[in-house]
Amino acid sequence: MASDALDNSVTLCRSCDLVIRKRALPSGVRALCPRCHTQLYDTPYCSINGMLALCITAIIFFFPANTYPVLELEFLGSMRTTTVLEGAIAVYQQGYWVVAVAVMTAAVIAPGILLVSILVQIVIIKYGLQHSLLRSILKQALKLQGLLTQLTMLEIYVISFLVAAFNLADFATVSFSFGTFCFTMLFIMHLFLLREYDIEHMWSFLEK
Amino acid sequence: MKSNPNDSTLGKQVGLTCCPTCNKVTCAKSACCSRCDTKLIIRDYASLQKSWALLITAAILLIPANLYPITTLTNQGKVTQDTIFSGIAHLVKTDMIPIAIILFTASILVPLLKIIGLTIYLTAISFKLPISKKNLMIGFHIIEWIGRWSMLDLFVISLTVAVVNMGQLLDAKPAPAATAFALVILLTQLAAKVIDTRLLWDRLESKNDSSTNT
Repeated sequence: MASDALDNSVTLCRSCDLVIRKRALPSGVRALCPRCHTQLYDTPYCSINGMLALCITAIIFFFPANTYPVLELEFLGSMRTTTVLEGAIAVYQQGYWVVAVAVMTAAVIAPGILLVSILVQIVIIKYGLQHSLLRSILKQALKLQGLLTQLTMLEIYVISFLVAAFNLADFATVSFSFGTFCFTMLFIMHLFLLREYDIEHMWSFLEK
Repeated sequence: MKSNPNDSTLGKQVGLTCCPTCNKVTCAKSACCSRCDTKLIIRDYASLQKSWALLITAAILLIPANLYPITTLTNQGKVTQDTIFSGIAHLVKTDMIPIAIILFTASILVPLLKIIGLTIYLTAISFKLPISKKNLMIGFHIIEWIGRWSMLDLFVISLTVAVVNMGQLLDAKPAPAATAFALVILLTQLAAKVIDTRLLWDRLESKNDSSTNT
């Protein structure tokens, strides 16, 4: 049995430990566990160059998305704006640091590290697979990938602009600005990047 | 191994295990994964206790999260405090039904269903309840996917607090329930993450065989 695993013809469901014989899949099709319906594997392929392009675009949008205001409010002639970071800082200054850390992590820190991590992975795969130091950096980056993806909550933040705007429209005039556009673009780039990203394919570079 | 499609050979029975970090299938005798050096565990029995502890703490924190106010609003000198529920009720009154539905789902329904769902799930493993494993697992996948959406309310609060700060005229501040609510999200997400789902399929084996074959 152990020899079966070596030729990669057998896999295990990570949710229920069922032994499953692997079959070749057409592209875009995902294998599910017959017993518990957990996603097992798909065609382990992702376009490294396509990912590099998406990743660089996302990083370019990352900076204006976090420095330009995402929400503007006009009330009796006075104007207030906020960036994603200022939102977290405002909550922190009121003494609610747990909330501030949660907002910072999910909307700024985790997406930032995730994008840098993917960029580093791609650069190492393209140019530096021979060096043992770079290989171990790649290994650590791949191990962190699952956690970072779970902590990144850009899609929820995009919805929260809308909810906050509707909430406040009751009292004052609310408008979106350049930061909102960049943040939404950052979200879209990150969405397509993670659609393209295949962790199994990334691991396979280390095994060569 | 038989070629029968309904065959349910487990990795444990044939001496294989799958790495918890990178999903590589390796021989269960080795201590670490050959690909990513993570320590291999065939079954994590302690995860059940960890998950219960996290879940009970989350269930206790859900009470202050819903009873205490989550925001304090000063509107022209008048101070009002809103709990999660009264905030949503206010939205319904001002005819913003779609936003009310989104917030109701994200802040009340999802945390509550997550705690109830995980309780049923963990009880089924701990006390070997005869509940269909397939339904439990579908529920678990839904909980894993939808759980993070509770963060929506915290994001909205942080944006509102940052933008509405005009002293006595109009001013919004977070209130104690915000911390409790953030902890509920964190703890329930962790409770779902630490649990070794393979335990469910091991422990209910005999019960489920009789129910699916008849």
